[in-house]
Amino acid sequence: MKQLKLLMAILALTFISSCSSDKAEIDTEYPVIDITGTNAFPIQCNTIERGKTFTFKATFNDNVALGSYSLDIHHNFDHHTHSTEVTTCEMEAVKSPVKPMLFINNYTIPNGVKTYEATAQITVPADVDPGDYHFMIRLTDKEGWQTLKGLSIKIL
Amino acid sequence: MKNALSIYWKYCFLLISLLITTEAVSQNKPSEKKPEIKELDEVLISNNAVQKNKKEESLNVETVNNSFIQRNLGGSLMQSLQKLPGVKTISIGSGGSKPLIRGLSFNQVIVVENGLKHEGQQWGADHGLEIDQYAVNRVEIIKGPSSFIYGSDAVGGAINIKPLPLPLQNTFGGSVDLTGKSNNAQLGSSINLFGRNKNWFFDSRVTTMDYGDYRVPTDVVHVYSYAVPLYKNHLRNTAGKELDFHLSTGYSGEHLKSVFYFSNVHTKSGFFANAHGLEPRNVDLELHDKSSRDILMPYQQVNHLKVSNTTSFRLGNHAFETQIGFQNNFRREYSHYVNHGYMPPIYPEDMYAPQDLERQYDKDVWSFSAKDEFRIQNHQITVGSNVVFQQNEIGGWSFLIPSFTQFNAGLFAYDKIELNEKWFLNGAVRYDYGKIKMKSYYDWFQSPVSENNQTELEYLQRSQDLTKTFDSFTWSIGANYNPGKLSLKANLGSSFRMPIAKELASNGVNYHYFRFEKGNPNLDAERSYQLDLGMEWKAQNFSFQLTPFVNYFPNFIYLNPTSAHDIYYGAGNQVFEYEQSKVFRYGAEFQTRYYFLKSLSAEIGAEYLYSEQKSGSKKGYTLPFSPPPSVLFGLNYEPQIPFLKEPYFSVDYRFTAQQNNIVPPEKKTAESHVFNVAFGSKVKTGKQDISINIQIQNLFNTRYLNHTSFYRLIELPEAGRNIIVSMKIPFSVSR
Repeated sequence: MKQLKLLMAILALTFISSCSSDKAEIDTEYPVIDITGTNAFPIQCNTIERGKTFTFKATFNDNVALGSYSLDIHHNFDHHTHSTEVTTCEMEAVKSPVKPMLFINNYTIPNGVKTYEATAQITVPADVDPGDYHFMIRLTDKEGWQTLKGLSIKIL
Repeated sequence: MKNALSIYWKYCFLLISLLITTEAVSQNKPSEKKPEIKELDEVLISNNAVQKNKKEESLNVETVNNSFIQRNLGGSLMQSLQKLPGVKTISIGSGGSKPLIRGLSFNQVIVVENGLKHEGQQWGADHGLEIDQYAVNRVEIIKGPSSFIYGSDAVGGAINIKPLPLPLQNTFGGSVDLTGKSNNAQLGSSINLFGRNKNWFFDSRVTTMDYGDYRVPTDVVHVYSYAVPLYKNHLRNTAGKELDFHLSTGYSGEHLKSVFYFSNVHTKSGFFANAHGLEPRNVDLELHDKSSRDILMPYQQVNHLKVSNTTSFRLGNHAFETQIGFQNNFRREYSHYVNHGYMPPIYPEDMYAPQDLERQYDKDVWSFSAKDEFRIQNHQITVGSNVVFQQNEIGGWSFLIPSFTQFNAGLFAYDKIELNEKWFLNGAVRYDYGKIKMKSYYDWFQSPVSENNQTELEYLQRSQDLTKTFDSFTWSIGANYNPGKLSLKANLGSSFRMPIAKELASNGVNYHYFRFEKGNPNLDAERSYQLDLGMEWKAQNFSFQLTPFVNYFPNFIYLNPTSAHDIYYGAGNQVFEYEQSKVFRYGAEFQTRYYFLKSLSAEIGAEYLYSEQKSGSKKGYTLPFSPPPSVLFGLNYEPQIPFLKEPYFSVDYRFTAQQNNIVPPEKKTAESHVFNVAFGSKVKTGKQDISINIQIQNLFNTRYLNHTSFYRLIELPEAGRNIIVSMKIPFSVSR
């Protein structure tokens, strides 16, 4: 029994000594995509026109430093996606794509910035299929946390 | 952060108070209680053999037998073993899982079945282990680096599924296993037939399993920010089925034993339908919710074939063993075609792959090994070598990793020295050589590439012809000291892991987690150094075991989430790139059991793990899939009841602490409290005993998330209440 007690004491000490902490602070917060501003574009259910150029506008925030963002426009003719937004938009009937618009691009954000007003010019070709599209915003911060926003839009 | 620190101290307090409790418990006077001899089906293996092994091996080894598996039967082998401290799983729905030993999994933990290293597609979080748990009789779990035994990959530990015990001479018999589960309406059955005359024997088994979508205690889940309604609490399309065949046959004589093993495991299982592809998706609810048993897209179909021969014979003082094996793992993942990047919107008619075949992996593995065990005075020496060659082909319209061939060879020597009855020393050295040859791959579609203001269409190259060679020298030393009821052990060892094709050359989309994964051809072989300690006290009415460890990786291979996005194949998804960083880990498992009465006992099992990256882009962060601290409290009642043999009734309560120690893209997981009840007995019927086991898992239908589940990232909760009834009916026909 004596042996056991001694062992228990050693164990207790091991645990206590392993419980000292010198942990550095790490970032566990996601960046934020803010499209509530008055000039934010596009927002849920917005429409854009073929053969014209529109300007993407949104405000990005992070607690430490923003990373980069990407924009992606792809067709939703098969109604495959729903959006991250609460409101739903009126959809056209399901159809097959012929020449759907496809836009994928990534954009840099200056180093060490916590708030960023993002703007990007996007040209919609005149010959693409009109209809329901999906507008994806993917934003990362420097540490690799990512926030998504999926918006339903229409190309007229 | 202040908050995190206080939580941290809370755990420390919890662990310390746990120790104090056990100390208090240990002061009770021991009552008369003899450890019972466990009866296996066809043979008797006393606890002593396992105990002896434990006292002589300096690595931490846990051994469980099939009655443990029966009592704790989960949807798959690893789910049935996760009651053991330090052993967790990465579950893929209700029918599949991967081993997670002390927070390490994938290619860092190896599985050995009948002496053959199991080679599937271990690198995928959604790829379950292709093992039939009904065919498992005895499993050894090595919680620590075992590279010197098994070569590359065993840095985190090993699950060693032992060969079935041979049938007794002049017997013919079998058994029928029946299992039913309420949560996913699962029906399973396994039929075993065995026979032996004097020297020739066979042992065969057929297992079938069929299950529906599993149910969770919620009617809506949020995949990232997308709300997904669930129909009747069913996780849409998580149904599956399995069909397995096994046959072992051979000769067992006085000087020679030769056994052929054949097994084929076939599974088909669905993935949660709303989260697959490039973004959370809408699905045809009417089609999907019509039946909870159908397997629609997306789904995976895996066939694993194994054929091997193990021959052992004695020559004088030497015991030789040779093994030749072949394995084929054929894995197909089906999903509706989703064009991404610049793939055509409509699937081309003249494509090389069927439209719904997203990915296909076909792996052939040939292996050969030989070893010689002999004694020189008090040295028990084992020398051996193994050679493995594998060929991997890919298919399907989507690309993640290239085709490759791989060659590995190793040479080892292991010495166990019995100094006296109390002291044992272990020492091992091993040399490994590996070569991996990856093939180039070009996209089957063109993408626009801009250069000098000119945009041209190009077939982009996803992977290049690349050959890498690695070699490594690993070692291990350890000691055991067994003065009576107490046993102490210590082991210091190094181990290594060769980078796999996924880590060196992946260049594609992970459709489950919506991310773009990129390999790094400059990776070095991963090395690990680990110190393991073990303390065990075994008295008649009280036992405890503590197994702490400290582990250091100078170059852990880690899939790092970057801040970049891929604009071609990745369709704007976030890029994850393989990197190497220094990693420091420590932890401990604790188990204790106390008998209040001969028939009433309490047990506690606890585990704690801490990991930190000490360099690289995620310095200060933990590693992915880090299991949070957890404690399991159990009460076990085993009364004497006439007509019943070994009846038991047990209640378990598992407290799993919150996990705030995370790394992108993980989410903090809240604490959980889950209760399980189990009872059962053997019923005497003539010569054979029918055993019946009943479990109620998640008794209170608690909604909780498991930090290490494959579906955790998309926030799918764990299964709700699940009543499991299993029955084993043995029969024997005398000759």
